[in-house]
Amino acid sequence: MMQVSGDVQIIKEDNVTHSFCGLACVGWMYQKIKDSFFLILGTHTCAHFLQNALGMMIFAKPRFGIALMEEGDLSKNEPTLEEIIREIKADHNPSVIFLLSSCTPEVMKVDFKGLAHHLSTPDVPVLFVPASGLVYNFTQAEDSVLHALVPFCPVAPAGQKSVVFLGSVNDATADDLRAEAEELGIHVAGFLPESRFDKMPAIGPDTVLAPIQPYLSRVAVKLERERGARVLHSLFPFGPDGSRAFWEDLAREFGITVDLRDREKAAWEKIRNQTALLQGKKVFLTADTMMELPLARFLKSAGADVVECSSAYINKKFHARELEALQGVRVVEQPNFHRQLEDVKRIQPDLIITSLMTANPFAGHGFVVKWSMEFMLMPIHSWSGVIPLANLFVSPLHRRSNLPAFDKEVWLEGAMPSAE
Amino acid sequence: MRLAFWLYEGTALHGISRVTNSMKGVHTVYHAPQGDDYITATYSMLERTPDFPGLSISVVRGRDLAQGVSRLPSTLQQVDHHYHPDLTVIAPSCSTALLQEDLHQLTAHSGLPPEKTLVYALNPFRVSENEAADGLLTELVKRYAAPQEKTALPSVNLLGFTSLGFHLRANLTSLRRMLQTLGVTVNVVAPWGAGIEDLKKLPAAWLNIAPYREIGLTAAEYLAETFAMPAIYQAPIGVEPTLAWLRSVIEKLNITGAERGVPPLTLPKLSAFSLDGLSAPSGVPWFARTADMESFSNKRAFVFGDATHTVAIVKFLRDELGMKIIGAGTYMERHAEWVRKELEGYLPGPLVVTDRFQDVAKIIDDEMPDLVCGTQMERHSCRKLDVPCMVICPPTHIENHLLGYYPFFGFDGSDVIADRVYLSCKLGLEKHLIDFFGDAGLEYEENGASLSPEVEPVSANGHVSSAVDVDVEQEALADDGEMKWTDDAETMLKKVPFFVRKKVRKNTDNFARSIGEAIVTVEVFRKAKESLGG
Repeated sequence: MMQVSGDVQIIKEDNVTHSFCGLACVGWMYQKIKDSFFLILGTHTCAHFLQNALGMMIFAKPRFGIALMEEGDLSKNEPTLEEIIREIKADHNPSVIFLLSSCTPEVMKVDFKGLAHHLSTPDVPVLFVPASGLVYNFTQAEDSVLHALVPFCPVAPAGQKSVVFLGSVNDATADDLRAEAEELGIHVAGFLPESRFDKMPAIGPDTVLAPIQPYLSRVAVKLERERGARVLHSLFPFGPDGSRAFWEDLAREFGITVDLRDREKAAWEKIRNQTALLQGKKVFLTADTMMELPLARFLKSAGADVVECSSAYINKKFHARELEALQGVRVVEQPNFHRQLEDVKRIQPDLIITSLMTANPFAGHGFVVKWSMEFMLMPIHSWSGVIPLANLFVSPLHRRSNLPAFDKEVWLEGAMPSAE
Repeated sequence: MRLAFWLYEGTALHGISRVTNSMKGVHTVYHAPQGDDYITATYSMLERTPDFPGLSISVVRGRDLAQGVSRLPSTLQQVDHHYHPDLTVIAPSCSTALLQEDLHQLTAHSGLPPEKTLVYALNPFRVSENEAADGLLTELVKRYAAPQEKTALPSVNLLGFTSLGFHLRANLTSLRRMLQTLGVTVNVVAPWGAGIEDLKKLPAAWLNIAPYREIGLTAAEYLAETFAMPAIYQAPIGVEPTLAWLRSVIEKLNITGAERGVPPLTLPKLSAFSLDGLSAPSGVPWFARTADMESFSNKRAFVFGDATHTVAIVKFLRDELGMKIIGAGTYMERHAEWVRKELEGYLPGPLVVTDRFQDVAKIIDDEMPDLVCGTQMERHSCRKLDVPCMVICPPTHIENHLLGYYPFFGFDGSDVIADRVYLSCKLGLEKHLIDFFGDAGLEYEENGASLSPEVEPVSANGHVSSAVDVDVEQEALADDGEMKWTDDAETMLKKVPFFVRKKVRKNTDNFARSIGEAIVTVEVFRKAKESLGG
């Protein structure tokens, strides 16, 4: 295992920023775990967030919903969810119900653990998932979901060494990762999460946990502590550099020595045109999904000049290898958006990776932008993800260079209400 | 406590930011946990704002609460330092409202002069989007509107035009065009595009125009009371209402004009209002009299939306297009009484008042109207049922944020609405042909996907959201709860025109159930055809 590198400079600011709360994870988690229901104990704000920001339209029977706290509910000591749970079971027949906390009930100090326990039955457990914006950012609540699933992962007896990949990816990506591991001679015990509640992987002392998303440090630590599993500390499998390090390090955990230098070289070769374009380009990541560290590391390896890599949370141990690879890059935790705005104006980056909230305004200021959230919804893992990953960065650059000249004074006149 | 999936109205914070995002030199600071500024994305994406909406969050963390610290004063200082707003509106979210902090005191700690801040602490559990927006606009008008001389020539204020309003820019353009034709100046538009200085000069206008029931009306009432300013509250939607509106504008302005010795305004020749200045201002009156539109007499329409548009569209469909109204409803409970009064004599039954989209979907499912006018949610409910639907009010669809000129107000707006009705409804003469001869060569593959042809991205986020949506669509398609049909009956059903097939299947299912049949056979199907009239 890698030693924690102590000399990585992380600047910490005050988190005055634009990003989503942990409830955002419902957007992909309910689709990943097919026999689940995600119930948020929350307010009008939570419901409005899900329907607006994530653009989640509700049709016949969505597998997520809000137990809506109205004014009359504020004076009650404990929320009564029995009726709602009954309704969910009757309509959806889920194998598991995730009960997500939100800000208002947390301020009210609702005993979520007790509540979930009380609502659980042997056939349909109700699992508490802390997700509120008081504590959790965007992707972090996936960590909470996985945390809640741990008791439902059977204990793997000591003996056969195998890998469990940590993080939700679509089925095609999961198949790729599984095939790649097996080709290297690594036994795959499964994924946390699998796409069905009753299929969660067995985890024990001879399990190697391979995190494939960079925002799952808590569940990794929990499994390390409770099951004696080993957590792979490598780069995350993004880009030729990340994929090579990830697979070589994972193989090493299994006593297998592989040299993937040629594979990495071939992968770089495949994206030669893209890296040629990224070469020397100033890239600014404003902090949103917490995928920023590995993305910045790939960009740096591809020859880009990462002028700032900001992320909502950085775990010095979990992200040690990425931080080490980012030596020399300005890394900021919990950035201040106002300061970033001034720096962006001064530095004039060639590309800004930023949230849904801030992308168009940056574009209006003349910058080339890419939505950070897109990186979460595209198959960018491992070798098969190399080209999509590289393309995500270069497509806005290409696009901009193909559009005709743009005179802001002319074409933005009257476009901003506050500037009418 | 109830299980909710989707809501028509947004939150109080949303209403507040709609007003401040409309305005020059005004910033909102949310005193709220991470993520409560999600609403910024609707401005930057739906409205495609090329600059940062004037909206910052002063993040409240669990740890801050435990330690009893607040970042609010320092956030306010940062906002002042970076953006130099004339005014910062401070608003709590639902969770921080429970903390019962003294926001006035925290704001004072920032050291900002009191005239540069406004704490707007509503009860977010009681007040929703529209009420909050209307309330904040009124608050601002009260704070800034100053007594002053009237303008020398006739002028009006346009109140209630607010960021993310329905077809807002086009409606404004339509009103401006008409006012210009009358020779009337626009003194101030608020909140859209207004700064503090504009609010100060509101009382200089001769007349207030506040066409939205939801936002702007209270401010106009305040100005009427305090500055004795006359106001017009009708929405000029439809040809006749537009004519009435123009006459009312002229009449009210001429009263002030007479007092001030300004020559009276007159209604010019109506062609002056047309786009080329040479033609009828709207095609609707003639369009409604064409033989083609005759087939619309029997079309059954259901309307559901906010107060302003529900009333206007029901009247337009019945009075100007000659359609049959089978029902209407609103999610604006606060204005339900007004809607009821306005629609007296228009509805065959009671007005539907609900904020549950499932209730509305059920009505549509039971009635299978020929046209539904609703919000983006009705649009989605209708797609599932293959019922034509057009969006007439918020919550909107990305299709209501197009680049072209599609007003709902004025003569231009009447043409736009009539076009949309015409395009949404099933065909006229062609329908007879298809009904008579079957598929008319237009047969589609018999499966769910082609019957609901557009599987599309929704709401704010373009293609990002589409990735999130796919599964939901599929679930919807899998969910019908239909009866069993024999193969022969299915074959017979295939002879029914494709676009009414769903409706026929459903009616037959209901018929079969009503006569106690468990399976639809050819015989049951024939019986159903007989008893339901084909």
